[in-house]
Amino acid sequence: MIERGKINDNQFRVLVILFIFGPAVLLETSLLAAAAKQDAWISAVVGVGIGLLIVWLYTKIGSKFPERNLFEKLEYVFGKWIGKIVSLLFFFFFFQLAAHILRNIGDFVTVHIMPETPIHFVEIIFLCIVIMGVRLGLEPIARTGEILFPWVIFFFFIMIVSLPPEFKIENIKPVFEGGIKPILKGSTTVIAFPFMESILFLMIYPYVNKIKEANKAFFTGALIGGGVLILISVYTILVLGADFTARNVYPSYALAKKINIADFFQRIEAIVAGMWFISIFYKLTICFYASTVGLAQILNLKEYRSLTLPLGMIMVVLSIIISPSMAEFMSYLPKYEFPFNLTFGLFFPLLFLVVAKIRKKTGKEPMNQTKGDGL
Amino acid sequence: MIKRKFYYALVSIITLTMLTGCWSRTELNELAITVALGIDQSGDQFKVSAQVVNPGEVASQKGGSGNSPVATYTATGETVYEAIRKMTTKVPRKIYGAHLRLLVIGEELASGKGIGKALDLLSRDPELRTDFYIVVAKETTAEQVLKILSIPLERIPANKIFQSLETSEKAWAATAGVTIDELISDLVSKGHQPLLTGIQIFGDPKSGESTESLQRSSTEPVLTFADMAAFKQDKLIGWLNERESKGANYITNKVHSTIVSIPCTRDGMLGIEVVRSKTKVSGSVKNGVPKMNVSVQAEANVGEVECSEVDLSKKDTIAELESKTEEDIKRKIEAAITKAQADFKTDIFGFGEVIHREDPKYWNQYKMKWNEEFVELPVKVDVDIKIRRSGSVGNSFLKSLKE
Repeated sequence: MIERGKINDNQFRVLVILFIFGPAVLLETSLLAAAAKQDAWISAVVGVGIGLLIVWLYTKIGSKFPERNLFEKLEYVFGKWIGKIVSLLFFFFFFQLAAHILRNIGDFVTVHIMPETPIHFVEIIFLCIVIMGVRLGLEPIARTGEILFPWVIFFFFIMIVSLPPEFKIENIKPVFEGGIKPILKGSTTVIAFPFMESILFLMIYPYVNKIKEANKAFFTGALIGGGVLILISVYTILVLGADFTARNVYPSYALAKKINIADFFQRIEAIVAGMWFISIFYKLTICFYASTVGLAQILNLKEYRSLTLPLGMIMVVLSIIISPSMAEFMSYLPKYEFPFNLTFGLFFPLLFLVVAKIRKKTGKEPMNQTKGDGL
Repeated sequence: MIKRKFYYALVSIITLTMLTGCWSRTELNELAITVALGIDQSGDQFKVSAQVVNPGEVASQKGGSGNSPVATYTATGETVYEAIRKMTTKVPRKIYGAHLRLLVIGEELASGKGIGKALDLLSRDPELRTDFYIVVAKETTAEQVLKILSIPLERIPANKIFQSLETSEKAWAATAGVTIDELISDLVSKGHQPLLTGIQIFGDPKSGESTESLQRSSTEPVLTFADMAAFKQDKLIGWLNERESKGANYITNKVHSTIVSIPCTRDGMLGIEVVRSKTKVSGSVKNGVPKMNVSVQAEANVGEVECSEVDLSKKDTIAELESKTEEDIKRKIEAAITKAQADFKTDIFGFGEVIHREDPKYWNQYKMKWNEEFVELPVKVDVDIKIRRSGSVGNSFLKSLKE
């Protein structure tokens, strides 16, 4: 085993919530409103509903051969060579995902908080902590997640409680104007981002104490994260209106700017932004962790820590070149992300289940035999 | 162990170099805190004025040295952004917009080039927030409005204008504070055209530019909110007068409290204070013909009685006053509608949005030519007033005076 730590189901749930919450809450509502206008919230409900089905599929895969993580499962079911190739594809998926998230936080900071700071420096400093976390291992990541989670709830609570006075009910009407098509189109973005990305939790699955509890925690975590996503999309539509939401790159930050109670409790958006920093940090850490551990397994290394620094350096560069401009990123998200994530989030998992059934793999053989030599 | 110590040292050194300061820090004394921006047209270019706070004057406990609390700078440029940056050639500090309270648009720009092009920067720049109000300078330029200093009670003119707009919106109802996100959603909406409050200078504007004007108690010249500017897309198309502005605000449900004056049967007037008002606008499409229904429900008090013949202790009198008040409010609303339909031919009330909500199918068919439909649109106005109280006295002493 490359990871010796163990986390409990509650820590696992917190990680799932932070992962789903992550940059999705910051970016997603804009895409939803662009596709479904004032029906964005229905789109979010549909998306989260289907997303939960997909998470349920992942729990099925997770409880098959429970002592193996995703890459070990793939090698076990597909055989050594095909398994390694598929694993490598998954590694690239996780790694580009991590680079995208890093770019998200870099863009957010350079647009809203420090416009004159070069994006590299924001990213490098942010990544330093991520690398530190990943080097320490899964257990410390999960524990700090548990400590910081109440803060995310606190900031989120401030936003939820202080915005209802700004509601404009008429923003939500007319319901179902464009029919079902734009709603489904909007929901695809939610399904792809963040639900299909959550397949990388299968890398962490075997390190949760009890597999039954892990299934439950994965599902409830996704449910809570999805609920937050729905709530935020309802809020942005009610407060900002569909048009303004779609035109804004970070609608939920604009939402936080709207907080104003009696001209006294206001201008707190930078503090509320704390919840995005925390959640994006965890999403990035989990993605980076899964990539490094995965690559170490593909290369049959004894430990993954030596990979963190070189991969981190590559990631900074990748995050810059992955989308030369914000426009490129914003056109990637609604257009190409769904089919791209579909490959890894649905096609391979289904293929995995089918092949496992055909080859009648039981998971009874001890781990060492399938590992080949070296590990 | 030595390796470990080396790592500790390395990490500390790296963090130290990073923690010495923010990359894009800006000290307070490098910022020109701008409280109001004015945008005018100057030929093909934009002329931007900025009212910048003089912190030493505003913050000092001892009342300052008699210098002006604000300074107004002007620059011209091809774009608004260019003009603002060009201002650094005149202002020693960089214009900082996060505390902006007011955006004044010159009438010439509003009716000439249109306001759309000037607004993009203000919604795009992350430094700016969305909580400043937008007004149109009537019969003058935005630059002139920002140069007026003579405003008592508040040291910073822009703050005064901001406060005054909020207060008059709540207590007088012929003005409306419109923020940039509301304005932009009106601009892009096919069924709701923008309506902005106007600001006007009374008196000789030149004498208001010096601090001497701060030492007089009669404040000439004075900045006043007057009338409301109706837009067709981003071009100013005409002005609603005070009565019509009130009417328009009744329709858009922006009236909180106001005064209605109704004539007595013999001589003098009677003031009714509206304390609560709620407007419901509903629309329907029957056989392809849209119809609007505006219903105002308000609670009011008798505020001032100049009539000698009115007996407030009688139930009938109150009913009569109620119907007279209703009549007056109804006339205001209808005046606003007539002006919008006949003169401006633009839907400043958002009736189109209501139809959009009620009947999306009809809307999608007609949204491109909604303004033509709007001209013919029948609007039914219902006003229901309940007069509850009559202040701390019953009948006016004027009644006994007469008898």
